[in-house]
Amino acid sequence: MRAAAAMGLVIAATVAAPWVIGEGVQRFLAEVFLMLAMAEMWNLLAGYAGLVSMGQQVFVGLGAYSLFFASMSLNVAPYWVLPLALLVCAGVAAVIALFLFRLREAYFAIGMWVFSEIVSLVVSKSEWLGGERGMGLRTARLVAARWLEPVTFWLSVAIAGGAVVGTYLLMKSRVGLGLMTVRDNDLAATSIGVDVWRNRFIAFVVSAAGTGLAGAVSFNATLYVAPGFAFDPNWVVAMMFIVLMGGIGTLEGPIVGTVIYFALREVVTVVFGLPGTWYLVGLGLVAMATMLYAPAGLWPMARDRFRVEWLSVRRRPSVRSGVAAVTWGRELRR
Amino acid sequence: MTLLEVRGLDAFYGDFQALFDLDLEVRAGETVALVGANGAGKSTFLKCLVGLVETKRGVIRFSGDDITATPAERISQLGLSLVPEGRLLFPSLTVEENLMMGALHRRPGAWTFDSVYEIFPILRERRRQSPNSLSGGQQHMVAIGRALMSNPKLLLCDEISLGLAPMVIEQIYQSFARIGSAGASIVLVEQDVKRAAAAADRVYCLLKGRVTLHGSARDLSFDELCRAYFGA
Amino acid sequence: MIWVETIVNGVLVGGLYGLLGVGLALIVGVMRVVNVSHGEFIVLAAFMGVSLSGLVPSIHPLVLLVPIVLVFFALGYVMQAALFNKIVARPDPFAAILLTFGLAVVMRNVMLEGYGADPRTLTAGTLAHASVRIFGLSIGVLPLLMLGVSTALFVALQLVLTRTTFGRIVRATADNREVVRLMGVNPGRVYNVVMGLALALASVAGVLLAIRSNFTAYSGVERLLIAFEVVVLGGLGSFWGAMLGGILLGVVQLVGLKFDPNAGPLYAHLLFFVGVLLRPNGLFGVRT
Repeated sequence: MRAAAAMGLVIAATVAAPWVIGEGVQRFLAEVFLMLAMAEMWNLLAGYAGLVSMGQQVFVGLGAYSLFFASMSLNVAPYWVLPLALLVCAGVAAVIALFLFRLREAYFAIGMWVFSEIVSLVVSKSEWLGGERGMGLRTARLVAARWLEPVTFWLSVAIAGGAVVGTYLLMKSRVGLGLMTVRDNDLAATSIGVDVWRNRFIAFVVSAAGTGLAGAVSFNATLYVAPGFAFDPNWVVAMMFIVLMGGIGTLEGPIVGTVIYFALREVVTVVFGLPGTWYLVGLGLVAMATMLYAPAGLWPMARDRFRVEWLSVRRRPSVRSGVAAVTWGRELRR
Repeated sequence: MTLLEVRGLDAFYGDFQALFDLDLEVRAGETVALVGANGAGKSTFLKCLVGLVETKRGVIRFSGDDITATPAERISQLGLSLVPEGRLLFPSLTVEENLMMGALHRRPGAWTFDSVYEIFPILRERRRQSPNSLSGGQQHMVAIGRALMSNPKLLLCDEISLGLAPMVIEQIYQSFARIGSAGASIVLVEQDVKRAAAAADRVYCLLKGRVTLHGSARDLSFDELCRAYFGA
Repeated sequence: MIWVETIVNGVLVGGLYGLLGVGLALIVGVMRVVNVSHGEFIVLAAFMGVSLSGLVPSIHPLVLLVPIVLVFFALGYVMQAALFNKIVARPDPFAAILLTFGLAVVMRNVMLEGYGADPRTLTAGTLAHASVRIFGLSIGVLPLLMLGVSTALFVALQLVLTRTTFGRIVRATADNREVVRLMGVNPGRVYNVVMGLALALASVAGVLLAIRSNFTAYSGVERLLIAFEVVVLGGLGSFWGAMLGGILLGVVQLVGLKFDPNAGPLYAHLLFFVGVLLRPNGLFGVRT
């Protein structure tokens, strides 16, 4: 009951917001929500399915380009073709998984990066997609100007909410349980009948689709897409760092991480007035420090310190599982 | 003369306690068998001795020196050598190179390539091959040879007979007799009680991290050992 | 005729690619760590070459290789001791990737701030334009020299690893870092030296590449991806495989550019993709 009331309040606030807050704030918040969505998708892949990918920017770009191309080819307002961005990314992910799932761990991570570079280079050479210069979203004029910002804002909230809720529901389901066993020990998972490949495949396709959707809305807002921006590795840098800092493998982690990410960016660029490179240096240093001293991220630290459970997807076994699980140096990762 | 003295040893894996207040002694020149079921703590004990597992409480004295906190890298120079469970040879090195690794920080002593090849002649033939092409028993021989190359005062053998055919085990145990008569003390960790007890001067039995029985191999009856092994 | 020349040039640049990869192959093979910052170190060496060359313009860049190699060996040793050794023992295979990724971002942006975004290059004086005629083909002296240096370094590395005691210790530590302690070896110190060697090799590749073509503070990504492709194509655990993988990539890259001058590293990337598809263990894959 309380959850439904809270949900209603959130929806009401979101709908009303564009009349209350200014355009600049809307734009900033939209960026925050879209980044959160992408981070949750990266977390789904790395934290829950155990697949680290350093090439997720390819879906940001593919989502954006599908939107631009479809919208302008069909001459409809971009919002109608958003589902297409989702489908294209899901489709590409499904196909590429067949090749890249042969690679293990680190090799999969960099293999995805190479794939992203290939797509980026091919797009750069494709004049029908604007080549290296990119292209503007001509069909944006089909939408009344005063709705551009609010719709983007609403979409970003919806996508972020969908990402969090969707991941939550997925992880609570059987697929989710399967994923978590795969993440912890894929050999053991196989031995109890969990289809490792299928579970990872589902997570990969869902993650790609969500990232693509967020990417499409992102570039829809800027009204311009170019390969340098669309396939920029800095997208995945942001996703990785948000998830790492916040807490990989938790739902709340990316939320915490997104807040830190944007706070850091605003402090360095606005408060200190330093160029963007220094903010990236700061990001890198924080990420390194996190990996060295708090590898589980900040949310697990806070959660354990203050004993708060928020969006937990942990299962509680009915019998106290004993010490039998402890073997030569391996701990249950939670 | 007491070569190895262990008093009140506790060992932990994280929060899980594997050894409880362990007391054990090995005298110079003797062979001691340490038996017990799977998970009793035998391997853990050997790893504590060589510094691969941290101990929380207790003392380990070797030749009179306190080695409880000594890091694993310095142990072989002091004269303790471990033949690890599962052999754990270096697959990227040849048989001979594996032996060379054992000789890296050797103490002065009688063990050389030739003396190792003398007890395990098959290794001389296969010395330039990768250990992966050897049978299980032959790999065990390499592992023992590698441990011998440092001229240890005390040789620790973790489950040497695991997974081997009885005839091969026989062959290896015969080599122990020769190693023992050459002057080294040996600790044999085994699940096979009969064979270990037959080869040893004294026997310790472990159950769930505690010593349940110890004494001279000849004086202990099989029934006593069974009871101590299974905890009846 | 022009195609033969292109292929030959591909082989020559391929030697450099192999050198790019062999440092990474060492790190991956011995420490099981994928060092995502490898590309940035390669570029850093190039920038160091540019700075030194600016300070002492009368000295040929190839001679400057000597102090640069020593500096990068020390740098690798210190990085491993102070930073990477802390996570090398962790069972989590991603800790290293993520740590080195953070380092890469830091390095790239610091270099950007320090040196700017403009393309730079190292001039090799008259040697850059000298060429020899072999079998009727005109081949640059410098590329030939670079191939020679790469091959010599490869051979030296193989000899050290297979014939020396140190090499044996490195191979044993790569196999099992816990057991090797029982033989009196400190795995941390072994890693320090290996990382030093790897970065020293990377620095040679960085300087030579800078002489051959220009580079920017952003070039690290491309260098890393090539190094990575060389390692995977050649087969994890095989250094000669890395050399051959590099040559293959070099040839495909240059031939591709002849067809399609705007392609950048596209054809090299495509070769990697196809290669991984057909032979996931690489050309000479050793380990599973």
